[in-house]
Amino acid sequence: MTTTLAQQPAASAAPKQGAAVGDSGPVETGRRSTTAALALARTAAARAGSGLWKAAGILAFLALWELGPSYLASASTRVFLPPLHVVLAAWGKLFESGTIQAHLAASLTRSVSGFGAALVAGITLGLLIAWYGKLNSVLNPLLELFRNTAALALLPVFTLLLGIGEESKISIVAYAAFFPVLLNTIAGVKTVDPLLIRAAKSLGLSSLALFRKVILPSAVPTIFTGIRMAGTASILVLIAAEMVGAKAGLGYLIVNAQSSFLIPDMYAGILTVSLLGLAVNFLLVGLERHFSRWRTAVGSGS
Amino acid sequence: MTAKISLRNVTKQFTVRAGKGSRPSQPAATGQRGPKEPTTLTALDSLSLDVRDGEFLTLVGPSGSGKTTLLDLLAGLSTPTSGEVLVDGQPVTGPGKDRAVVFQQYALFPWRTASANVSIGLEGRGPDGRKLNRRERAAKASEYLELVGLAGFEDRFPHELSGGMKQRVAIARSLAYEPDVLLMDEPFAALDAQTREQLQDELLRIWRATGKTIVFITHGIDEAVYLGQRVAVLSARPGRLKAIVDVDIPDRDGEDDIRSHPAFVEQRHKVWTLLHDEVRLAQDAGHRKILPDGTAPDEVPGTTLERSAA
Repeated sequence: MTTTLAQQPAASAAPKQGAAVGDSGPVETGRRSTTAALALARTAAARAGSGLWKAAGILAFLALWELGPSYLASASTRVFLPPLHVVLAAWGKLFESGTIQAHLAASLTRSVSGFGAALVAGITLGLLIAWYGKLNSVLNPLLELFRNTAALALLPVFTLLLGIGEESKISIVAYAAFFPVLLNTIAGVKTVDPLLIRAAKSLGLSSLALFRKVILPSAVPTIFTGIRMAGTASILVLIAAEMVGAKAGLGYLIVNAQSSFLIPDMYAGILTVSLLGLAVNFLLVGLERHFSRWRTAVGSGS
Repeated sequence: MTAKISLRNVTKQFTVRAGKGSRPSQPAATGQRGPKEPTTLTALDSLSLDVRDGEFLTLVGPSGSGKTTLLDLLAGLSTPTSGEVLVDGQPVTGPGKDRAVVFQQYALFPWRTASANVSIGLEGRGPDGRKLNRRERAAKASEYLELVGLAGFEDRFPHELSGGMKQRVAIARSLAYEPDVLLMDEPFAALDAQTREQLQDELLRIWRATGKTIVFITHGIDEAVYLGQRVAVLSARPGRLKAIVDVDIPDRDGEDDIRSHPAFVEQRHKVWTLLHDEVRLAQDAGHRKILPDGTAPDEVPGTTLERSAA
């Protein structure tokens, strides 16, 4: 999976550029020939154009990465900023030897377990806090304090208490992912339309049924927004934690490559991190959209 | 006369904290309290009213006269400060399956399809202690969606329906668990004139077909006279029963335009006259709608009890 993801930009770059060049040809000839051919060519060009337009930024960046170090940078800079094909070659080598998979697996295991723990704890506690007003007034100042303490500031504490093994990393990922989930769960439950609650009560729903059938479904989209934010936060914090003290993981790979002067390997690690981040976000956005389908056109509908 | 619903000297007061808009130098509405003491908003003042079994009663009153408060009391969503609310001779202690509410803003659950919205009231135990299974609920939902003219719309989500269709779903939802009493809070106020007239006729048809007791709150005098067998007129805040007008229009079921019938015009004028003074009083006092938590945006101490008893 990672192979296709990583090689896609490079592979798709060439044919798309080729297509773009080819497009201008038919458009030119189409103008001179019949209007039907013109319209056809136009739609084809527009379709290819919109796809190209979307990819243009990325393609330009990749081109700059490939060409910039070779033609613009000085020789000494080129060592620290190798062109794209060198990085991809290094990535291929790391992949062949299985190194990148091992580090990716280590990172994924940590983030998934930390993220999972944060989900369970955040949603459960969030529902409790939102449902019991007393709990909210007691816990809210404390939560504000913790929420505004940057997770990475606590990294030394986690390391001291839990060592440099898995526990400390999983804990800090869980900590960082916990607050977006918790706060969005509370917000989701608290912003349920009071009219819906009145309606549900008038329908004779019990407290439990009201919670299960009205409050929870109504809060799901907001909770998912929190989950998506937590996904981003968990990867960010994980990489940082692995950079500080770890024996495996993508963060470790990056820092280790840097200190061993394996600069292309370092970029290969960074590339993997960004692709991992993209993949996680893509997945969570898809899930969020799936669970918020009924919210489409809510504003215009009523 | 069998009274389905009886209100006996019902008073509803809300305690309102002195808001930012209130003038602290003035004494509170209820008398000799300190400026920071909570004030009392009297929404309903010793109101007595009987609704017959199977009757269609419409309720009109100026803004802030406690119409919705009255409906909340009937629905069991709030309790009276004093007095009694009886349904079938039993005091109302909370929401119950014998009463259903239809709200102005539809209050459909947006994550549920039309069919699932209608069947939500059927998901608990029925009066016979039996739970309907999924298929029975869906069948019942279809039956009631058909009654309100929405057959074939079972799988639509609320955001895919027009305002009139949403209100039809809401009516189907309230009918589905077969309550005796239908409480409707300005259900057609948010709809365009054509849809409103159409739904008024549909509601009359449903009422005749099902024999429910309906209490229908409205701002519209035409609507009140057109729908109601009796029209109860509330006074400006604090809400008291000002008058009950018996609506007697010959051959209601005829094909003619009832609204231009001399009897209709006469009754309409009667209600209009009764309501007119109250509306002016309410406007002079700047009364606004009382919110569900008992606050009214206009409520300034000193304005509530200025008028003499009606």
